[in-house]
Amino acid sequence: MKRIALLLAFSALAAPALAQDGEGPYSANSEAKSWSLFGEEKARFEAKVTDALCALTGDCPADCGAGERPMAVIRKDDNKMLLVNKSGAPNFTAANYRLSEFCNQDVEVDGLLVGDPDLTPGIGAKVYQVQLIRAVGSEEWLKTNLYTKQWAERYPEAKGKGPWFKRDPNVKAEIEKNGYFGLGLDADKAWLEENQ
Amino acid sequence: MLRTLLAAGALALSAFPGLAANGERVTVTGEVIDSWCYYSGVMGGPDAVTGSAHHTCALWCAAGGIPVGLLTEEGKIYMVLKWANNDKVADGKTMLSVQSHQLVADGIHYERDGIDYILVEEVSSDEGITLHNHEDYGFVPPFAQPGQ
Repeated sequence: MKRIALLLAFSALAAPALAQDGEGPYSANSEAKSWSLFGEEKARFEAKVTDALCALTGDCPADCGAGERPMAVIRKDDNKMLLVNKSGAPNFTAANYRLSEFCNQDVEVDGLLVGDPDLTPGIGAKVYQVQLIRAVGSEEWLKTNLYTKQWAERYPEAKGKGPWFKRDPNVKAEIEKNGYFGLGLDADKAWLEENQ
Repeated sequence: MLRTLLAAGALALSAFPGLAANGERVTVTGEVIDSWCYYSGVMGGPDAVTGSAHHTCALWCAAGGIPVGLLTEEGKIYMVLKWANNDKVADGKTMLSVQSHQLVADGIHYERDGIDYILVEEVSSDEGITLHNHEDYGFVPPFAQPGQ
């Protein structure tokens, strides 16, 4: 059983590389880095920055939620709204803080469109991973890796060794209460005793 | 003056056509998921990035402000933009206590450009984590295991 589980896990982890297709209508001139993700397409285009709730409902704070609302870009070419799902940093962070700096501004973005309904049922459209952003007319690209700086300012008491997500006080409190599997501390203990 | 206001309104709608959209009331039953790992395959296929196996990773992503989704039994994903009328769902705190939970949410549904969104007003039932797939997958990713 464990061997089957390991095989399944391995095939699942290997799958993204097989799913890569790479090019799409907005891939020309893109300098985005490939992450070998499901349905990945490099995509560089001009857009307006907004938060997703604003775009759908008209509830529009001037700061787009100051990094605490999911963000979106409205592509200039076709007025298509793309939900921005991820920053360019490989550390479990979104790009909401960086994008909110450009709230309601016209920008150029570069990144990856991600998602493939053949591999992940239920997906109706790709989401966007923004790696670089700049105001239209600016020559300076900015990375979208602002989250950890904001996080460090918000939680100075969490300063220490190791990645931010293992020091985050909210995550730690949740794990201390319900365990790493979320099923209670006994479930963690039982699994670890059986598998270590 | 009126003409100026009308022109300004038309311009706003042109920039954000969603302003004109009306949501519809829905009741959704599903699992709260980390949408990035689900969409991207970065941690494996869809079966490996839900449930107890992926719970710690889902906490990390929600703490990092990555959008949370509600995955229904039919396979549809609703991206969460409000939770119990709190619009700060990407604040790194709000969604942590329900991550990976199977629940019933009442709210307002919007759809735009192929993505479904939900503004959750009330959670009428919360069964906690019902998918115990750590028995098959262990920790996803492996470095979510304590001590790694």
